[in-house]
Amino acid sequence: MVSLPSFLFVSFILFLAGIVVMIARKNVIAILLGIELILNAAALNFVAYTRFINNNLEGHIIALFIIVIAAAEAAVGLAIVIRFYQIRESIHIDDATQLQS
Amino acid sequence: MNSSIVSFLSEMTNFEFTSLHAFIIFGIACFLMVNVSALIGGLGTYAERKISADLQMRQGPNRVGPFGILQFLADGVKLLLKEIIIPTQADKVLFLISPLLCLAGVFATLAVLPISSGLILTDLNIGILYVLGVSSLVGVGIFLGGYSSNSKWSMLGGMRGAAQIISYEVPVTLCIISIVLMAGGLSMTTLVNEQGGLPHQWYILHNPFAFIGFFVFFIGILAESNRAPFDLPEAESELVSGYHTEYSGMAFSFFALAEYIEVFVLCGISATLYLGGYKVPFELGSGELINSTLGGPEFIGKGIGQLLQLGAFFTKTFLLYYVVIWIRWTLPRLRVDQLVSLCWKYLTPISIINLIGIAAWEWIFKGQSIFNLIASLLHSSGGGGH
Amino acid sequence: MFIDIMFILSALLTLGGAFGVVASKNIMHACIYLLGSLFGVAGLYATLGADFLAAMQLVVYAGGIIILMLFAIMLTGGHKEAVNKFGLDKIPSMGSVKTFLIGSFSSLIIGSVVLKIIASIINSHDGSGKLPEFSSSVEKIGTLLVTDHVLSFEISSVLLLGALVGAAVISRPRKQ
Repeated sequence: MVSLPSFLFVSFILFLAGIVVMIARKNVIAILLGIELILNAAALNFVAYTRFINNNLEGHIIALFIIVIAAAEAAVGLAIVIRFYQIRESIHIDDATQLQS
Repeated sequence: MNSSIVSFLSEMTNFEFTSLHAFIIFGIACFLMVNVSALIGGLGTYAERKISADLQMRQGPNRVGPFGILQFLADGVKLLLKEIIIPTQADKVLFLISPLLCLAGVFATLAVLPISSGLILTDLNIGILYVLGVSSLVGVGIFLGGYSSNSKWSMLGGMRGAAQIISYEVPVTLCIISIVLMAGGLSMTTLVNEQGGLPHQWYILHNPFAFIGFFVFFIGILAESNRAPFDLPEAESELVSGYHTEYSGMAFSFFALAEYIEVFVLCGISATLYLGGYKVPFELGSGELINSTLGGPEFIGKGIGQLLQLGAFFTKTFLLYYVVIWIRWTLPRLRVDQLVSLCWKYLTPISIINLIGIAAWEWIFKGQSIFNLIASLLHSSGGGGH
Repeated sequence: MFIDIMFILSALLTLGGAFGVVASKNIMHACIYLLGSLFGVAGLYATLGADFLAAMQLVVYAGGIIILMLFAIMLTGGHKEAVNKFGLDKIPSMGSVKTFLIGSFSSLIIGSVVLKIIASIINSHDGSGKLPEFSSSVEKIGTLLVTDHVLSFEISSVLLLGALVGAAVISRPRKQ
């Protein structure tokens, strides 16, 4: 039961769910939720591989850095969302068109 | 297997448990632990009312049972029989989930609370980090309770609560890291065993930075558990009763119970980190001294040692609990801007300086406490005089 | 046996949470489903013997990111489908049938590509293999962080400082 393919399967489904959320949602915060899912799928893959194939701790370090990057990304992303809401009074991704020429 | 209640029992009785036995014992121990802590939470409400009455020259509850000690049972029965009223515009699922999230976060921290050297449910090697992680569920619960009630008071209370909890987590975590730096391990038993039974061996008197750190930590846990003078999320005079305005019946009592048990757990953790935890002076806790002086079978000495450790832990914890209640009925409530500036302008810089100071202390004095240094200084000067 | 049960529970929590994030119509509920999913991932880490990582996941995600996201949702008007002053709100912000069709189609394509890559691993692995001997400790991770990976450690600290200052600067209201 507890083997590499099962972990890969879980992370695969997690990744696909993140992709669907990122593409289908039009709410900026919901897109950030999808990014969190994808980052978690990647980190889970690293930890599973390091357990079953490498058998050292390198994957844990990478997963730790992924968590750090996720925290930084969430902070900056949500700051941008709040600023965007102050300017456009919306968190709809289609409203973010001011940089289009 | 690291030390836990199961391994302790198997060592006491010289009996090798199979995994099924271990599972059953673990389940019973968890059940007892949760119920005892719920009892402590209930008695906490009684203690709060009695101590506040004492401070205000009143009688307090005195009708149910001797000295009114069964008042919390009467209150519990009353709350059980009350209807849980769900506002029509509320988010029903989140409204019912949020008290459970609060209670689950608090009960999960009980798993690593070191009550005595044998009575710790499991000794994770990341104990204190685990406590930080699961206790942050309480903040989510408070926030969701405020949001889902669909009331302005609740929403303001919930936002205040979440902001307060995540900002005060910073100085608390920095204080914990500085203690971990001294102990050299994250597990709760390591943190306790590096200290001694006598006060000069505790971490609070280890060096001046840790002495300041204890007070920073204590103020931080007051704010984390939303106790006065930091009870802004449930400020009666501004927000009706904050995030649990719309709650009634058992849903309300879950919030109240979670708050009182959280205060108990956090007092226990600050006793563990700074006041020596379950340590008894002269290594009485291991039971070897009792066995060698009194004789008799081994398990009697061990049992007495465990009881002494339980006594030490609960004495320290309940003293801190008394101080928490005492502070609540003495100090007025802070304003929001005072709360924020206290956290970010005073406590966080102080705890960062403490962290650097403790690291420097460990490097310069090789981890010796200030009493050891003074003793060795006196010894060397006295030796030089001869 | 025990580790199997733990794996199944964590995997169900993870996948159920991910499904909830995909399917829920309310952004607040989606955030709570994400919390469940992250707890499930922490459980999977614990199953893999990465207990330090599991605790970090709980501390960072449950304590920080989820509350931050809930705050952002509250500050941007909750779950309401408010039409903004520019009148651009043609599609409901949590997605419509069309966007979900596009999303599932593209995830199907990406999924088949990824399956093509990991199929060799799944085929080569017999699936009945037991967990290899493994020991993880906080000390080893700490030693690795300050010896082999010290450069990335320092860079990530600079990244966090930059994110902190940047978030404060971006979200601060401009003075008129």
